[in-house]
Amino acid sequence: MNYENLYSSLSLIQPEITISVFLLLIVVADLIFDKNKALIPFLALAGLIIASVQVILQVTNTGYAFPFSDVYLSRKGMVTVDAFGAFFKLIIIISSFILVYFSYVSDEIKKSEKNLGEYYALIFGMILGMFFLSSASDLILIYVALELLSLSSYVLAGFSKLRTRNSEASLKYLIYGATSSGLMLFGISIFYGLSGTTNLYEINTFLASHQINHLTLSFASILIFAGIGYKISSVPFHFWTPDVYEGAPISITAYLSVASKAAGFALLVRFIKSAFVTSDDSLGYWEILSVFDWHSLLILVSILTMTLGNLTALWQNNIKRMLAYSSIAHAGYMLLGVAVLSNQGLVAVLIYFFFYLFMNLGAFFIVMLIANKTGSEEIDDYNGLGYTSPFLGVALTLFMVALIGLPPTAGFIGKLYLFIALVDAQMITVAIIALLNTVIALYYYIRVLKHMFLTKSTVETQTVSVIRPNIIFIIFMLAPVLIFGVYFGPVVDFAKRCVQILGL
Amino acid sequence: MSLYDIIFYLFALLVLVSAFITVTSKNIVHSAFSLMFTLFGVAGIYVLLGADFLGVVQLLVYVGGILILMIFGVMMTNEITNVDIKTGTTQVVPAIIGVGLFAGALTSMMLRTGWNSQPSENMDTTTYAIGKLLLTEYVLIFELLGMLLLVALIGAASVARKEKE
Amino acid sequence: MLTEFGKIFIFILLAVVFVPLIVYVAKFIRPARPTKEKLKIYECGENPEGSPWIKFNIRFYVIALIFLIFDVEVVLLFPWALTYQDFGFYGFMVGIIFLLILGLGMAYEWRKGDLEWERPKPIPPILDDEPPAENEELKEESLTI
Repeated sequence: MNYENLYSSLSLIQPEITISVFLLLIVVADLIFDKNKALIPFLALAGLIIASVQVILQVTNTGYAFPFSDVYLSRKGMVTVDAFGAFFKLIIIISSFILVYFSYVSDEIKKSEKNLGEYYALIFGMILGMFFLSSASDLILIYVALELLSLSSYVLAGFSKLRTRNSEASLKYLIYGATSSGLMLFGISIFYGLSGTTNLYEINTFLASHQINHLTLSFASILIFAGIGYKISSVPFHFWTPDVYEGAPISITAYLSVASKAAGFALLVRFIKSAFVTSDDSLGYWEILSVFDWHSLLILVSILTMTLGNLTALWQNNIKRMLAYSSIAHAGYMLLGVAVLSNQGLVAVLIYFFFYLFMNLGAFFIVMLIANKTGSEEIDDYNGLGYTSPFLGVALTLFMVALIGLPPTAGFIGKLYLFIALVDAQMITVAIIALLNTVIALYYYIRVLKHMFLTKSTVETQTVSVIRPNIIFIIFMLAPVLIFGVYFGPVVDFAKRCVQILGL
Repeated sequence: MSLYDIIFYLFALLVLVSAFITVTSKNIVHSAFSLMFTLFGVAGIYVLLGADFLGVVQLLVYVGGILILMIFGVMMTNEITNVDIKTGTTQVVPAIIGVGLFAGALTSMMLRTGWNSQPSENMDTTTYAIGKLLLTEYVLIFELLGMLLLVALIGAASVARKEKE
Repeated sequence: MLTEFGKIFIFILLAVVFVPLIVYVAKFIRPARPTKEKLKIYECGENPEGSPWIKFNIRFYVIALIFLIFDVEVVLLFPWALTYQDFGFYGFMVGIIFLLILGLGMAYEWRKGDLEWERPKPIPPILDDEPPAENEELKEESLTI
């Protein structure tokens, strides 16, 4: 064993180690303080703060951890630490910070306060899985990390056992998850059978240098895409999304819609880039191996995903279900950015994701505040809410406008970069389909606003009063959505910086 | 056909037949028991392939653990023998087309692909080699599996625990 | 040809095959004259009551679930136990960290009471001070004897 190598590897996975240690600390604290669970959220916050510092350092401190073998020190490792992974880790960390506050406020979580230790331990389990997913370059590590993420999220989806919908959500999530992870494992085994290695870089070299049966490789790629597509809830692996989003506690729903998706996208991009791309050309387009047509698959899937997500969202009366379908549609837009298969498309995806984080979590937060008070998530119950609680009404309006992608919000910038990337790659037809989808999306988001501001309620609408910390929090969420809508330069620069994936 | 092949086909037959019974049996206990033979047959195939550690895992974890868990699950249901399990066939034509395509793709893959296989000269016990890999290249996976098991333990306990008011 | 475990597996296989084989062989050579009494489920001479398929306590399931996880842990420890000596202190620590993580899981189960067996609370019989009136006669009779 080469210890030099081990130490450098360990220093590269510092954020993951921090998260693991704090997971264990949370469990210990949960065991020691049996009665008083007030400390645990702060412990979680402390862990997140340390991990976030370490993640920010990773933007510049890059390298391969856990190389495949001592003999081949030059070979690329099992974990690839680079700016691209750091960006997604940052998104995961930010949404985890928001989640901690979310859970602190949420009534559903307060009701099961006794189990707060498990709650945070499982969330840290999710974070650990997602961190490894965003920097894994080995199929075995990918699978283990995916299972870590999935297992924790199955339990969290059914965390508050007070409602039967919770258990239903958890069970459905488990069944779909088990199926797609089984498919993915099959795909992985075929990849291993073909190439004799699980390392993505070695698979890349193998695919470039050998004659391979294309049918087998396509089959395996599609199977692996099934596992990833389930995480980012793309059609046809989206069936769990509405039920789970509706049934799970809102804090978890919001987290699943952002963080878990971020990990899925990071995995998808890294998988394609590390295993199939040979080099970047001068314009930043990826020279992809001709063994599998990722371009067509991704375009097909993304068009289906956004169209189906948007069209189904039209008929939803439960706002969590509506947001679930809208998140499917957003996954479709972002997949389109991946389908461009260029650095420009990837920049668009990163920008989009960064803004999507704030607008989606903000919308969910307001839905949770309203549900805390009125106990309802039906859109009909939002009638007249814009007048009785104007602050929430206006804030939700802004988040919805951002989700539609209208100026002057950040959502517009995200979509703008995406469409520019599409047009630059001569994908005009696809861009038009995406544009039409945005128009459909306009309808169902506006419908919520119509209910809040224009429809007169038959019963008296309850006033949802907001305490000061929540106001500050909502303003904190609104600020990036509005500021980055006008002053988006830093985000774009940061995304351009983070587009570098190690390994070419 | 050598003795080796004959044993392999016997195990394969065992797996297929018992898997078929598992799926079609109307009695859920019978299903669980024939699943045992499926898992056992797979263990046999592992052993035949020289993957003895996997065979032990299959026996210890699947036959000794998961199957027991499943039977407990069956025993916990209120109605065991009276429950009307739906094993009828619906949507025959789409199912046949789907399964046929899938099977066709798999078969053609199996036959036409040049698998990266290496015949092993000596069949040593694989456990030592696996242990060596777990401590060198895959040490991260080893520790991560510990975390995974911990999370699974916490999750399983918190799901199974009764909610006390 | 076969690995070491392969030889053991043959024994396991023989054991598994032997039992049904003997039962079926016996079925062919024994006389079969079933009566209603013979076909009844044997319950130490008592008449069986109700279905043998009773609902199990959920505790069994929880214990089995916990067992399964530690089962997987043990399986992962086999290869480690064979090799850690070759790696000295490093190999030892890898296993110890793994065990500590799982040990924390064990402590968690213990502390949370998942390993405790929930017994039904015994209901103490309520004794009335005054015996029922109609038993008066019976009581005196038994006393005289």
